Amino acid sequence: MTPETYIQTGTTLKWLLGLAWLLPLVGFCIEIYGGHWGRRLDPASNGKKVKLAAYMAVFCIGTGFLLSLSAFVIWKGATDVQLVAAAHDAEHGDAHDSDHAGGHDDHEGHHADEGHDHEHAGGHDHDDADGHSHEGEARGQSPDESEHHEEHGNDPYAAAFSGTFYELAHFGKLRIAIDYYIDGLTLLMFCMVTLIATCIHVFAIGYMSDELTEDYEDHFVHLPGGKHFHRPGRFYRFFAFLSLFSFSMLGLVLAGNIFQVFVFWELVGVCSYLLIGFYVERHSASTAANKAFIMNRVGDFGFLIGLMILWTYFGTFQFANTDPASAGEVGLFQMVRDADGHLDVAETEEGSIVSLHGGEGRTIPYWLLIAAGIGIFGGCIGKSAQFPLQPWLPDAMEGPTPVSALVHSATMVAAGVYLTGRFYPMFTPEVLLTIAYIGCITLFIGATIAIVATDIKRVLAYSTISQLGYMMLALGVGGWVAGLYHLITHAFFKSLMFLCSGSVIHGCHHEQEMTKMGGLYKKMPITAIAMLIGVVAISGLAIPILNVGLSGFYSKDAIVASALAFMSGNRDTISFFAIPLFVMPLVTAGITAFYMFRLWFMTFAGPPKDHHVYDHAHESPSVMTLPLIVLSVFAIGCAWFGILENWILTAEPAHVAVGGTSAHHVALSMPSHHAIHGVHHTAGIAALFAAVVGAALSAVFYWKGLVDPNLVKRSFAGVHHFLVEKWQFDNLYDAMFVRPVHIVARWCTAFDKNVLDAFLHWLSRLTLATSSWDRKFDETFVDGLVNLVGSSTYKVGRSLQTVQTGSLRLYVMFIALGVMALFGLLFMFFPSA
Amino acid sequence: MEGVGVQGYLAVGAVLFVCGVICMATKRNGIGVLMGVELVLNGANVNFVAFSKFGPLGLDGQIASLFVIVLAAAEAAVALAIALNFYNNHLTIDVDRANELQG
Amino acid sequence: MEMFLFTVFAAAACGGAIAVVLSQNVVRMAFYLVISLGSTAGLFFMLSADFVGATQLLIYVGGTVVLLIFGVMLTASGPFLTIKSSPGSMVLAIAVGACFLMMVVGTVLQVDWDGNAARLEGQYGASSLDRPGYNQHGEGHTTRSIGTALLGARFDKDLGKNREQPSTGYLLPFEIVSVHLLVVLIGAAYLARAKRRVHVPSEF
Repeated sequence: MTPETYIQTGTTLKWLLGLAWLLPLVGFCIEIYGGHWGRRLDPASNGKKVKLAAYMAVFCIGTGFLLSLSAFVIWKGATDVQLVAAAHDAEHGDAHDSDHAGGHDDHEGHHADEGHDHEHAGGHDHDDADGHSHEGEARGQSPDESEHHEEHGNDPYAAAFSGTFYELAHFGKLRIAIDYYIDGLTLLMFCMVTLIATCIHVFAIGYMSDELTEDYEDHFVHLPGGKHFHRPGRFYRFFAFLSLFSFSMLGLVLAGNIFQVFVFWELVGVCSYLLIGFYVERHSASTAANKAFIMNRVGDFGFLIGLMILWTYFGTFQFANTDPASAGEVGLFQMVRDADGHLDVAETEEGSIVSLHGGEGRTIPYWLLIAAGIGIFGGCIGKSAQFPLQPWLPDAMEGPTPVSALVHSATMVAAGVYLTGRFYPMFTPEVLLTIAYIGCITLFIGATIAIVATDIKRVLAYSTISQLGYMMLALGVGGWVAGLYHLITHAFFKSLMFLCSGSVIHGCHHEQEMTKMGGLYKKMPITAIAMLIGVVAISGLAIPILNVGLSGFYSKDAIVASALAFMSGNRDTISFFAIPLFVMPLVTAGITAFYMFRLWFMTFAGPPKDHHVYDHAHESPSVMTLPLIVLSVFAIGCAWFGILENWILTAEPAHVAVGGTSAHHVALSMPSHHAIHGVHHTAGIAALFAAVVGAALSAVFYWKGLVDPNLVKRSFAGVHHFLVEKWQFDNLYDAMFVRPVHIVARWCTAFDKNVLDAFLHWLSRLTLATSSWDRKFDETFVDGLVNLVGSSTYKVGRSLQTVQTGSLRLYVMFIALGVMALFGLLFMFFPSA
Repeated sequence: MEGVGVQGYLAVGAVLFVCGVICMATKRNGIGVLMGVELVLNGANVNFVAFSKFGPLGLDGQIASLFVIVLAAAEAAVALAIALNFYNNHLTIDVDRANELQG
Repeated sequence: MEMFLFTVFAAAACGGAIAVVLSQNVVRMAFYLVISLGSTAGLFFMLSADFVGATQLLIYVGGTVVLLIFGVMLTASGPFLTIKSSPGSMVLAIAVGACFLMMVVGTVLQVDWDGNAARLEGQYGASSLDRPGYNQHGEGHTTRSIGTALLGARFDKDLGKNREQPSTGYLLPFEIVSVHLLVVLIGAAYLARAKRRVHVPSEF
């Protein structure tokens, strides 16, 4: 690609995506005011005008999707990436490898001295065993791209466009700007977010329709006197918040520097806060909103620390600078890793030092690089509800269901995973190991709690936590593509399932307890089938021989394969501790299938458990089922033909494909693509087996009723209670943080009351006393003086009055006497004159 | 030539002046008071003219006395008019009755 | 001769003034006042101020005193012809007057008039008596000089000397006095006019 085409394409992409990004903001502004005024102008229309807000929001986000799609087409045309031709790379079963002979040797030649791939040797054997011959790197470049590859050297940012929208400020070397960084991942996120958001917006028009009234009765708010709370509907406000959220999320994805990411990160948090607390009058909703917000702040604290370290040692916030016009200025990724993606670590007396590229001879201590990585990942922990900050996500289900679908399952919580993926080049193997373990713990905790949850939305929420754990685990074990792959597929089927649950809740008149449902298949078949598609997708079921499954199957396989490759690669170094990283996701795959089918059986199959609910249940209107159908299509087929995987591959950081070892603090070796491909088959079969077992067990328990779940519950009462109590996390945090804070608060209150207030009271008494003294002084001396002057003047006047006799002759006498007195004085004082 | 010095004229002026003052201070008749004023002014005039001759004043002293005479005449006219008015209002010329300005 | 004339005029002036004080009858007071003022005019002639003396006679004796006598005639009818002062106030006034007189006369006598005149001669060069213009010794032709001085020209001071800045005359005071006299004329006429009642016709 020549610089001219680069600039041309970059500018086009910039404006297309920028427009897609800013449209929801415009929508938000119009909706929040227009909805308000529209209602005020015409209260009789009873919501018809307010509905304009919804159409506005749908229009904005839908246009955003079209723009994203066209941006993708332009980008693909400009960068020559081949999504389908290289798809065989990702095909499972027998066709799952490529001929890396050329490229691979190339790598070996480059890095043989670093001794990073004994792992590779195994992969090589595998290659030879496979008779397939494929062109193209693992990074998804086309056949003729290999030459391209040669002539470009190792340009890891060949398909990325970066630049600046608007420079906000320049403080010395600190440059704060609205940047963009567009590569395959950005475009993919844009398309995914806008598509899902469009579906959910449309769905919400139906779901939120009962807000289209001037007198909304909230059945969950009990006022004293047994009445319910009444308020005007907030239809327009809901869509305004959704638009604002879309704007923030797209801004986060488009952001070209980590600081900008942070800004939108917080904006997204605010939107989440607003939407969780949408029914602000409900105590549970406002508490949940606060909980989500505060827990995210804990993570963001780490984010801030990471930002500080990065700024101190790197002097820039930009991700990477791919603009040929300003090739000298490098971004964070280019400073940390060279074109081949390798860290330049030197052992010195003060410890390991990482030399940064970019000409200025900057260095950063290795441990600080780790700290920065863990700090940034801390933000991701909070946002993506990872252990130990996961409890806010289930509580966030207090928001309306479309919000849960959009914000708390498909997009916002995925922002943490996205950032981890985006920031991948900055993470050292130690950080990655941390990420892997965090993800491992999270996925297990989430899945186990989901088994016992009975609220339909909470099951999905815990499932979300668990799936996010999967993604983190994948990223941690080196399966970069696998993690983000799962992010996309999960977004589709999880939003699908949430919308289905929303449809169920809507149809059952806001009944969320699964124990009161059952047999709803007959009442709402479209919802049931769509939900079944989602359940099958998340469980990762497939037809064993053909290796054809729904989207979740591919991505979950990729994760399990990455985990297996990582475990086998590090068996020597961290031995025992590596085992859970594979076993946990495998077991949890089974658990996932179990609880997801449990959900489906409890809701849609079997006899109705509560006839009141059953009788009133009805299928949702088409404005709600249509999005379900669209999302179902994507949940089924988005992973087919490998397009998605290759699309993600185009954005993969350079160092991931070849794997590698590190021996700085923990001796780790990251699995290369070869290694992962090598175990893909094994892992896929294992995961499928686990899923089938889980699904079968679920059918036994909840469909056929062969074993009564209550019996099992009773025999494992302790475990059940532990899980119902969510692993005691809430209680633990309550004891660890909330109560101590309350105690400290009481101390502070006591201190305030006893010491500060006493001091203040003493001060006020002192002031009173002083002022009373002052008053006395005023009254006695000042007033006395003034009165004295007045009264003496008056007295003098009174006494002089007697002199004024009015007698002319007396006056003449006075004059004469006065003259004589003057003469007398003259003689007395000037006798000689 | 042994002439009369300035002292003699000054003494006559002083006597006229003091007589005028006493006249003003004792007469209850308004016209009498006016006469006292004329005497006082005359005493002053004698002094002016005496210094005009014996002192450095020259012609200025005489001119000053001329002005005094003219003003005295004017004053007499106005004062007589006032006295007549007073008489019309009070039916007397006793200045002790004119004590409206008493404080 | 001069001493004699001075004695006569001075005695007449002083005696007239004292008589004015002592007299209780207002008509007599007017008569004594005429004597006193006339004698004063004589003193002016002795001081070679012929114009001032003539003016004194014309205005005072001929005008003012006549005016006073008119006033007496208009007011002092019957019981008001003599208004007696109380003896106490008379004594008090005479005592104060005596003190005043003693003080003034004492002051006059204390001054060294000859030394003063010598000092003045030293200051003004020649004897003041020799100054040209008005003061031909023993004669009193001051009328012309006063007339020109009132019109603004000072022949008595400016003639025969090369002064850079001429002495000022009395034109402005002269004008002011003339306006003053006019105002007094009108004012007096207004004040002294007879009050007339406006009779309201009774047939309405």
